[in-house]
Amino acid sequence: MKKLVLFLEWGSISGLLVCGLWIFLLTPLEINQGFPQKIMYLHVPSVISTYLAFFVVFVYSIIYLWKRELIFDQIAKSSAEVGLVFCSLVLVTGAIWGRPTWGTYWVWWDVRLVSTLLLFLIFVGYFLLRKAINDKDKEARLAAVLGIIGCLDIPIIHKSIEWAKGRTLHQPTTFLKVENEQINPSISDVLINPLTFSIIFMLSLYTYLLLLRYQNTKYEEKINELISKTLN
Amino acid sequence: MKTRNKFFIGGTVIIGIIIAFSIQELQEKTIFFYTPAEILATPSKFENKTLRIGALVQTGSVIWNAKGIQLSFNITENGKEFIPVFFNGSKPDLFREGQGVVVEGKMNGEKFEATQLLVKHSEEYRVEDKHSKNKENYYKSIKFQ
Repeated sequence: MKKLVLFLEWGSISGLLVCGLWIFLLTPLEINQGFPQKIMYLHVPSVISTYLAFFVVFVYSIIYLWKRELIFDQIAKSSAEVGLVFCSLVLVTGAIWGRPTWGTYWVWWDVRLVSTLLLFLIFVGYFLLRKAINDKDKEARLAAVLGIIGCLDIPIIHKSIEWAKGRTLHQPTTFLKVENEQINPSISDVLINPLTFSIIFMLSLYTYLLLLRYQNTKYEEKINELISKTLN
Repeated sequence: MKTRNKFFIGGTVIIGIIIAFSIQELQEKTIFFYTPAEILATPSKFENKTLRIGALVQTGSVIWNAKGIQLSFNITENGKEFIPVFFNGSKPDLFREGQGVVVEGKMNGEKFEATQLLVKHSEEYRVEDKHSKNKENYYKSIKFQ
């Protein structure tokens, strides 16, 4: 386990650094947007990591409610923490990308922007809820329910652009674009290749952070046990 | 009546009122944007109201006054019906003819006075085609000789 964590740590960080060099030194500029398009290589991998992180929360919350063992709750909690970091990264990089291209950091009438903010706020509430309850089993149970409900926002975020029928600011999907019933991404190969690798390394960064956080909750438990022993 | 039931009934009533109010507000305020055809169909409905219109910039209609920082252009969906737009402010980098834009502001008679100009961009990402670039350069070099 420790070796795997170490491997993921160095693998993902060096991989992302290499991707950075590739993106800035070897990838040509996009015709329409030029330089601002490069933030896509941070924005899109963060989005996919956010989706994965909260999907893990969804799965482990269900498993917890079924088996009622605290280990599943700890995995869900760790994943939610990492997911919240990636989600804020999505909102911040999206705003920075929006300023030079759309002409604004944020609008309140775009379906994707608002539904993503909702996801962020639900998981802020998730941690407030956890802090507010002292009983471990009750905390885990309520957090699992809120976690499951919160994750239902992900398909809404993903489908919102289609539902708005073009009457929104955010552009539709590039990578899963369907033409003639076939998936046909509308992006040049030289632009999509570094993106694919950024996504792979960002997902391994997520896995590393999840494992690290999960290990830390174990240490936290041990420390709390020691403290309660010495106090008694 | 148990305290728990009172809380439950009171909570339901409060949440119900909040939902009813927000739906009413949402229906009024969160129409994401209108199209020029919808505005031109019933112009009297939109008088003196802050609204958003989403459409394409009509080719050949853009007048940019760099000294006065004034921008005027027509927005259209199909090239036939259009609304002239006036905007006091800088021209966004991605603002082009034929580009999708969203303007926020008020109708003033026939024309639209925009307070905000947003540019929509497509989901297409392309790089310059080296082959066509070479060809272009080749033709340019012939021209100059």
